[in-house]
Amino acid sequence: MTPMVDLAFLLVTFFMLTTKFRPDEPVIVDTPSSVSEIRLPDIDIMTITVDNEGRVFFNIDGKGTRETALLKMGERYNVQFTTDDVKRFSVLSSFGMPVQELKSWLPMDQESRKDINYKGIPVDSTNNQLSDWINFSRHANPKFRIAIKGDQDANVPVIKRVIAILQDNKVNKFNLITNLEQEAEPAKQ
Amino acid sequence: MSEVQQQEQGSDKKHQKVRAKKSSTHIDMTPMVDLAFLLLTFFMLTTTFSKPKTMEINMPIKDAPKEEQQKVAASQTMSVLLTENDRIIWYMGVDDPTQPPQTNIADFSLLSNNSFHKVLLDKNQKVFGEVQQLKLQAEKEGWPKDTVKARIARAKADKKGLIVLIKTDDKARYKNLVDILDEMSVCSVGRYAIVDITPSELELIKNTNQ
Repeated sequence: MTPMVDLAFLLVTFFMLTTKFRPDEPVIVDTPSSVSEIRLPDIDIMTITVDNEGRVFFNIDGKGTRETALLKMGERYNVQFTTDDVKRFSVLSSFGMPVQELKSWLPMDQESRKDINYKGIPVDSTNNQLSDWINFSRHANPKFRIAIKGDQDANVPVIKRVIAILQDNKVNKFNLITNLEQEAEPAKQ
Repeated sequence: MSEVQQQEQGSDKKHQKVRAKKSSTHIDMTPMVDLAFLLLTFFMLTTTFSKPKTMEINMPIKDAPKEEQQKVAASQTMSVLLTENDRIIWYMGVDDPTQPPQTNIADFSLLSNNSFHKVLLDKNQKVFGEVQQLKLQAEKEGWPKDTVKARIARAKADKKGLIVLIKTDDKARYKNLVDILDEMSVCSVGRYAIVDITPSELELIKNTNQ
């Protein structure tokens, strides 16, 4: 039995080390499929998620970058974030609410976060917080690659609005997150 | 028998005790193995190896001078309108309100008569053929990846190739947009752009729907 147990433990160790748990996403997004096979890099990624109701969520990686971006946003919109808030924010992932509501969202525990009805980040021209988020994050980390993760059923106008905001920020090159197409392409010849 | 021997040879008593201890070093490993396999199954089932794929998009620079943006030959341009219910309406040429173009309806399937894939392949035959040939040649002669990429990019940038303008109305789904962009890469269309729809084209969609 010993060789089998050895093997079992080897595999357990392997899977334990390779597993990366998916961060908690506020919404489930069903991305469309494509034949593209370019992989999304692991770091320096800014993800703008659009769900099927047209709400916009935002996520950046890097603890330091998140902290700087949040403080800058707080300054811009006159929201005071305590050091505790900033610390919490730095380890979270995607969020989707006006920065004014972020303050009450941060101290919540995971369970109550699930019940929240997210409003999405405002993208209209009078209150364009997404643009500020993009701007401040890119100041904090100029190496960011921007990825749009849209739901299949998301409305195109929202996506186009996001693209327009990106272009306003001089981002003309970005990625769309997709799934790999399952079925083969029969008409390729 | 052994007892008799013990009694007879008192000096061997110690040796006997050590032997009895030896047998107790075996432990029951079954629970540990159970746990190991439980963990193994858990991690095997939760691990996802497939990472999300992405599609790269380059948008035209907004502030570019107007004259540069509009150097598009109408004869090699195809306008694609995406609308509700996953329908595609396309016509050759650029938008001209004074002369409504002949519109065609297509869908996203690969094999139906209305397949947009077929239309696109037909219109972009030359470039598609070239790219396909390049790929074959590359495989045969084992070109480095960069060379293949550069050669394909050059073939796609053919000045006489098809230009596709992608326009969507408010009812289109994001999936349609991605599918169309996907179709561009499958059919080797090198020059395409996502453009805003014009009022006259909205009218076109309306008329075609009827």
